[in-house]
Amino acid sequence: MSNLLKKPAVRWGALVVLVALAVVLPLMLPEVANDTIARICVFAVAVLGLNVVMGYGGQVSLGQIFFLGLGSYVTAYGATNDWNIVLTFLAALVLPAIAGLVIALAAARLGGLAIAMVTIALPIVGLPLARRLDHWTGGSQGLSSRFSDAPEWTGLYHDQWQLYIVLVIAVVTFVLVRNFVRGKFGRALAIVKENEAVASSMGISPYWYKVLSFTIASMVGGISGFMYMSVVQYTSPETLAFHHSITLLAAMVVGGSATLAGSVIGGVYFVFVPVLTNAINPNLTAMLQGAILLLVLFLLPGGLASLPRRIAGLRRSSGSRPGAPPREEAATRAVQKAASKQPTRKADQ
Amino acid sequence: MGTFIQLLIDGLSTGSIYAALALAIVLVHQATGMVNFAQGAMAVLSGYIAYSLLGVGLPLIGAIIGAVVISFFVGALIERLLIRRFERGDEHTAVVVTIGLLTLITGICAWFWSYNNQLFPSLFPNQTIPVFGASVSLRSLGTIIVILVIMGLLQLLFVGTKLGLALRAVSINQQSAAFAGMPVGRLLMVGWGLASALGAVAGVLVAPQLTLTPGMMDTALVYALAAVILGGLSSPIGVVAAAGIIGVLENLAAVYVPFIGHDLKVAVPFLLIFVVLILRPQGLFGRKAVVRV
Amino acid sequence: MKMTPTRRGVTSVIALSAAVLLAATGCARDGGGGRGGETSPGITDDSITLGITTPLSGPTAGPGTCTVAGLEAYMGAVNEAGGIEFGDGKTRTVEIKALDDAYDPQKASSNYQTLKNEAFAITSGLGTPTNLAWREAATADEVPQVFVMTGDPIFSQQSESPWSLGWVPAYPNEGAAFGEMLAKSSEDHKVAILFQNDDFGEGYVEGFKEAIKGSENIEVVGELSYEATDASVDAQLTELAATDADILFNAMSITPLVISSLERAQSIGWEPSWFLPSNTSSPTAILEPGGADAYPGVYSVAFSKAPASPKFADDEDVKTFLSDLKTYADYPEVPAFPHCMWSYMLGATLEEVFKDMQEPTRENFMEAVRSIEDFKAPLMLDGTSVNTTVDGEPAVSSVVVQKYNGKGFDTVEGIE
Repeated sequence: MSNLLKKPAVRWGALVVLVALAVVLPLMLPEVANDTIARICVFAVAVLGLNVVMGYGGQVSLGQIFFLGLGSYVTAYGATNDWNIVLTFLAALVLPAIAGLVIALAAARLGGLAIAMVTIALPIVGLPLARRLDHWTGGSQGLSSRFSDAPEWTGLYHDQWQLYIVLVIAVVTFVLVRNFVRGKFGRALAIVKENEAVASSMGISPYWYKVLSFTIASMVGGISGFMYMSVVQYTSPETLAFHHSITLLAAMVVGGSATLAGSVIGGVYFVFVPVLTNAINPNLTAMLQGAILLLVLFLLPGGLASLPRRIAGLRRSSGSRPGAPPREEAATRAVQKAASKQPTRKADQ
Repeated sequence: MGTFIQLLIDGLSTGSIYAALALAIVLVHQATGMVNFAQGAMAVLSGYIAYSLLGVGLPLIGAIIGAVVISFFVGALIERLLIRRFERGDEHTAVVVTIGLLTLITGICAWFWSYNNQLFPSLFPNQTIPVFGASVSLRSLGTIIVILVIMGLLQLLFVGTKLGLALRAVSINQQSAAFAGMPVGRLLMVGWGLASALGAVAGVLVAPQLTLTPGMMDTALVYALAAVILGGLSSPIGVVAAAGIIGVLENLAAVYVPFIGHDLKVAVPFLLIFVVLILRPQGLFGRKAVVRV
Repeated sequence: MKMTPTRRGVTSVIALSAAVLLAATGCARDGGGGRGGETSPGITDDSITLGITTPLSGPTAGPGTCTVAGLEAYMGAVNEAGGIEFGDGKTRTVEIKALDDAYDPQKASSNYQTLKNEAFAITSGLGTPTNLAWREAATADEVPQVFVMTGDPIFSQQSESPWSLGWVPAYPNEGAAFGEMLAKSSEDHKVAILFQNDDFGEGYVEGFKEAIKGSENIEVVGELSYEATDASVDAQLTELAATDADILFNAMSITPLVISSLERAQSIGWEPSWFLPSNTSSPTAILEPGGADAYPGVYSVAFSKAPASPKFADDEDVKTFLSDLKTYADYPEVPAFPHCMWSYMLGATLEEVFKDMQEPTRENFMEAVRSIEDFKAPLMLDGTSVNTTVDGEPAVSSVVVQKYNGKGFDTVEGIE
C-alpha cells in the first residue's frame, strides 16, 4: 500500500476521492454521526498537538488539555462579546501559543519527569483558576455560545455546518503539522529527542527546539479548543480537568506515538470508547475503558497505527527485513536499530 | 500563635497521606525504573481487600496484615502478567499502561464495592492531645509514626541489604544484572510486590479519614508525584520530607497569602518544584538521576 | 506480484467511493436522519423511553448512580403493575436508557446527541455543568430536559429555558431557609462560613446571605472556601475556629469531608451549631460516624424522608421504596445519598405528568410537566410538595429545616 501511495497519480486520485467524501458525507450522514465525526476531529487535533511535543519531541506533557481549555475559553469569550469570528479564531490560537511559550521558556530547562510535573500543574491549577476568574470565564457556570450555528444562507443543518468548520480546520492543521515534522525542524527535533548531546554537537540547541515544539503543541491545543467550542458550544472548568489530559495521553499512545495517522486514531479512541462502553454497560465504563486500553497496548505496543506494519511483518516473518518501509523520518533509525527482534516498536532504544 | 502551630501540625498530617503513597512510588521506581500512576488505585484495592476481610469477621489488625500479604502477590502478579511486556519498551507506552491499570482497577473496585463511601475503622483512637496550644489527633500521629518507620525500613532496604542492592541494580541495567547472575524477573516481581504491600499500608492508613471510594487516592496521587519529584526519586527520606513540606507550605500559603487562598493552594507544591528543580535538578535529596537513554 | 492485490484494493476503494457519491446525489438527508417530525421519538403505543445522562463513574458516581436507581425502582414497580395509563387512553410501560457522562460536559452533550433521537424526554441527570452543556441545544431542538438534579436556577426560568425544568430546590433556596430561621432568632449569632468553590457552594452562601441581610443579630465572622477535590479541610477549620463563631454554615457536598470536618472541629475544641446541605446530612452515613451528637445542634434542610432514620423505619413509603430499590434497581443497601429518594419521587411525579398527557408529543408533555400543582409524591415530608406552575421555581422549591436528634431528624421552627 505504501509503495503504491508513492505514485503521484494514485495519490492525487485518493486525495480527490477524500475531498469529495468530506464534502458529501456530512450532507448524507445522520446528525449523530456528523456530531461524532466532528468530536473526533476536535480531539484528533488535540492529540496531534500532544504528539508534536511528546511523540516527535520526546517531552512528556500532561498539560495538553489546559491549552484546549484555554482555546475554548478564548473562543467562548470572543463569541459572547461579538468579536469578529476570524479574530476570535486567531486569539484562540495565539493566546495559548503565548501561554505555552512562556511556560516552555521556563520548563524546557528541566528534563524528563520534571517537565511532566510542571505540565501536570497546568490543568490542576487551571481548574480553580478558571473558577476564580469568573469575570472572563463565567465561573463554575461556564460559558455557552451557539456562534457556530449554520447561517441562513447555507441552508444547512447546524451539525453539517459545524462538521465542515472543524473538518477544514483539522485538515489544514494536519497538513501544516505534517510539513513541520517532516521538514528541517522535524529532523532536528528528532535528533534532540534521540540524543541531546549529539544535537548540541551538531549546532542544534535542544532548549530552543523543546521550547518551539511545546509552543506549537500549545497552539495546536488552542486550535482544538476553538473546534471544541464550535462543536460542544459550551465550556466550563470541567473542560480542563486533569484526567482528560491523561486520557489524551492514552489516546496518543493507543493511536501510535509520533504518527499522523495515530493522531486521528487517537481522536477516534478518545471520542468513541466512551460511547462504546456506554453501549455495553453504562455502569462499568471505567473498568471497560481500562480493559480496552490495556488490551490494545498488550497486542500492539506501538499503537493501532502500527497494525499495518505489524501485519506486514507477520506475513513476512521468515524474511529478514521488518515490515514495510516506515513512513516517518524518526522511525527509520529506530527500526534499523530494533532490527527484526521487535518490528513493531520504534523510537525506543 | 496557636493557629500557626495548628496549621503546621495539620499540614504534617495531610502531608503524611501524600508521603505514604509517595514511598510506594519511589519503591517501584527504584526497583523497576518506572513511574506507576496506578499506585494509588492499587492502594485503594488493598483498602477494599482489608474492608472485605473485616466483613468476614477478621479483627482489624488481622485484616490489615491479610491485605498487605494479598497485595504483595497482587503486585507481583501484575508485574509478571502485564508490566513485564512493557518494561523494556517505549517509556511513554509504559506510563500509559499504568494509566490503563489505574482506570481498570478503579473500575473493578467500583464494580465490586460500588461508588458509595464505605467507612473504614482506624487503627488508632480518634482522640486528640494538646501540644503547644494546638491539638494533635492520635490518628495523625500514628500515621506519621508508621510512615517514618516504613521510611527507615526502605532506606535500610536500599542501602543496607543485598536485596535492595539487587533491586536497584536491575532497575539501572537489567542486562548487566542478568549477566551477573541475578534472577531479574523474580527481582522485578518482588519490587512490584513490595511496593504494592507498602501501598496497602498507605491505603488502610488513609481510608479512615477519606472513607473508601474507588477514587479515594486520585488527589493524593498528584501530590505524591509532586513529593516524589521534589524529594528526589531515589530517596525515601527525601520524599517523606518533601511531602511534609508540601502539606505545611500549602496550608500556610492558603491562610497567610491572601492572593493564593484555599482555592489556589494546590499551586504551591508546583511552584516549589519549579524553583527547586531549576536550582537542583535531582530534587532536594536525590542523587543525580540515572536516566535510561 | 506484490503490486497486484494492493492495486485492486485501491481501485475498489475508489469504485466504492464513487458509488457512495452517486447514491448521495439521490439520497435526501431526511430519509434516515431522524430529525423528529410529526410524532416525537421515544414513544410508541405501548412504551415510552426516558433518557438519563448522569455521572456513573468518577468522583460523583455515588449520587449519580442514585439518580438512575431511584427512577428505575419506581418505574420498575410501575411496569410490573402493567404500566401507566396515559391521558390519551393508552397504557405504556416506561423504559429507561441511562448513559454515563463522568461529570464531563463534553460527554454529556455527546450523550444528548444519542438520547434525543432515542428517548422521548431526558430527565434526572445530576450536575450543573453537564446539564448546562446541552441546555441551549435542547431548547433549539425542542427536546424536554425536565426534572434535572441541579440547583442552578436558570433551568427553571421559562424565558431562558423553555424546554427545561429543575427538580431539586435551587441551592440559594436551601441556604435561605436556614438564614431565615437564624434571622428570626432572638439571640445574637456569629456565623462562620465554609463553602465548596463551585456553583453549589456559592449558591448556598448567596441564598444564606440574602436571607440574613439587615438582621442586626447575625454577624458573618469568617468565610472560607475549599476545592471539591481537597483531601482535607483541617486548615480551614483551624482558621474558622479562631473566629469563635457559634454557627458553622458548611455548604459541603463531599461525604468524607463532612465526616472528617465533624470529627475535626470537636477535636480542636470548637463546638458550634452546624448547618449542612440536604445531600450531605445522612444520619447513618455521615452524622453518626462524624460524631455529630457532640454539637449543640446539627441542622439541615430536606424534602424527603430519610430511610436511615429510625423515625421512618416503619413508614409505608420508606418500606416500599427500599424494596423497590432492591428489586428493580439492583441497589440492595439503604442509600447514603438522598438522590435515590429524589429520583424515586421524580418517577412518581412523571407518572402524574403522563396521566395528564393528552397527546404523545413532546409539546404536550411539556404542557403537562408545567401543570403539576401541590402533588405530594411518596417519601415527601409534611410541608413540602411538587409544584411546577410557578415560573422561576424548580419542581420542588419548598424545604423544611430539621435538627438532628442523635438518630434521625426532627422538623424545627427555630434555632434551639
